[in-house]
Amino acid sequence: MDAPSQQAASTIDPKLLARVVKGDQQAFSQLYDQSSTLLYSMALRILGNREEAAELLQEVYLEVWRKVARYDVGRGTPIAWLITLTRSRAIDRLRARGSRAHHQVSESLDGPSATQVADRNPGPLEAHADQELRGLVGGALAGLPQAQQQAIELAYYEGLSHMEIAARLNQPLGTVKTRIKLGMSKLREHLRHCWEQGDRP
Amino acid sequence: MTHEELEDAVPLYAVGALERVERQALEAHLLSGCVSCHTALKEYQSVAAVLPFGLNTTPPPRALKAKIMAARTPDALTVEPAAQHSPKPSLEPGEWMNHLFPPESSSRAVSFRWALGVATIAVLAIGSYLAWNSYVRMTEDTTTLAQLHAQADTTASKLTALQQQLNEREKTLAQLRDEIQLRTSDVTELKDQLIQREAELEDAKIQLAQRGGTQRARTPQDQLAVLLRTPDVKAVSLAGTDMAKRAAGVLLYDARTQKVWLYSVNLPECPNGTTYQLWAIHDKPVSVGMFHMDSGETAHLLVKQLPNFTSAKKFAVSLEPPGGRPQPTGPLYLVSQS
Repeated sequence: MDAPSQQAASTIDPKLLARVVKGDQQAFSQLYDQSSTLLYSMALRILGNREEAAELLQEVYLEVWRKVARYDVGRGTPIAWLITLTRSRAIDRLRARGSRAHHQVSESLDGPSATQVADRNPGPLEAHADQELRGLVGGALAGLPQAQQQAIELAYYEGLSHMEIAARLNQPLGTVKTRIKLGMSKLREHLRHCWEQGDRP
Repeated sequence: MTHEELEDAVPLYAVGALERVERQALEAHLLSGCVSCHTALKEYQSVAAVLPFGLNTTPPPRALKAKIMAARTPDALTVEPAAQHSPKPSLEPGEWMNHLFPPESSSRAVSFRWALGVATIAVLAIGSYLAWNSYVRMTEDTTTLAQLHAQADTTASKLTALQQQLNEREKTLAQLRDEIQLRTSDVTELKDQLIQREAELEDAKIQLAQRGGTQRARTPQDQLAVLLRTPDVKAVSLAGTDMAKRAAGVLLYDARTQKVWLYSVNLPECPNGTTYQLWAIHDKPVSVGMFHMDSGETAHLLVKQLPNFTSAKKFAVSLEPPGGRPQPTGPLYLVSQS
């Protein structure tokens, strides 16, 4: 195994999870190394707080350790499964937290945005495959009108329904729905175009 | 929700932007096996699952990994010795599951150390309960959806049955309508027959009147007696002219049957096939009917149809050549008084 593929979150081998299922410590350690930066970044984006993001990540990895047998390769890539699980747990936590820490979320909204592709500073160890995917997704997102990107991010990273987004942005419901629909549709077209030429992450 | 609305909801579903009700509706639709929506959902979910790659990366705290590895160990330790010391290298990918769901067959249960097994299962049961809670909830949701779906199916089949009943009723109704139409035409036919019979009867009466004098004189007179008792009969009296000073007549009109009855007395006998003709004078005279006075006859009753009796100004009886004339040519014998 070469180093880049060991480090890439986008190229986690389903066999690695099979090893984790067997209780393979080393496999679990490798799974952590490949995925933790991405999952932590996402947890931080959702929760807007480093300590909480770390707590969440611990929770998620322990759940992965226990529930890894539930991973079904037919339903998506390992990283897609991990991302879905992490997002779901983070949104749960965000909702449980309620409005108490709302300002922290707003804070994170003002923070670095995904569109600032140029500012991104991939770690030296970051795998080539991930860099490509980052460029691809970042580029696709940056290609969206600001309003569409904002609507998608409010749903995806803040767990808001279209009604809540409409209320937050003071926009008609139909407008919000259309923004998400159009944005997602464009992302799909953009990514499909690229995926058709290579492997789906 | 229409299919188009459901299809539109797919990208929103993938980023988690749907309201609960909408989510359930879409899930029910997906459970129903819509291939196009399913395909679209898979693609949108793939998109959603790479969105975090668009984020700036922040590495987790260095200490976190050690913490996680350590936190995981109490659980792991109880399992791993079993795995490592197991005489059979048999821990297949699904083996972990067997700790959560002990297999029903006892093939390998005996070989496991029971005390350890029980402890493991107890610890795992508590741990996994929390972990599975959400999974179970999801399963419950899915079950509820399936139930709702089944209910919808039942309702749909009931609807179909009702529709069938309705169709049958409609068919019956159409049959009944046809029958009624048939009956109606029967009735019409019968009515026509009745009218024909009435006409025949009338003819027979006329023939009878033409054949037997005494008989004819009596029956119409009886009818006349009835007519005179009818309340809305109009009467016009006719007086004899210089041609027949002793003659007189009365003209009765029955509005119900639109018939006029001329009862004349003391008119002279018709010579050489000539005939008396009754005229209704509107703007000009119109023939109403003809009658004979044979020798020895003193009274005569003429019954004729006359729809426009009321518009006639005058009535008169003249003596005309045989067969009558379209306009009066002979001398007048009776003339109405009014």
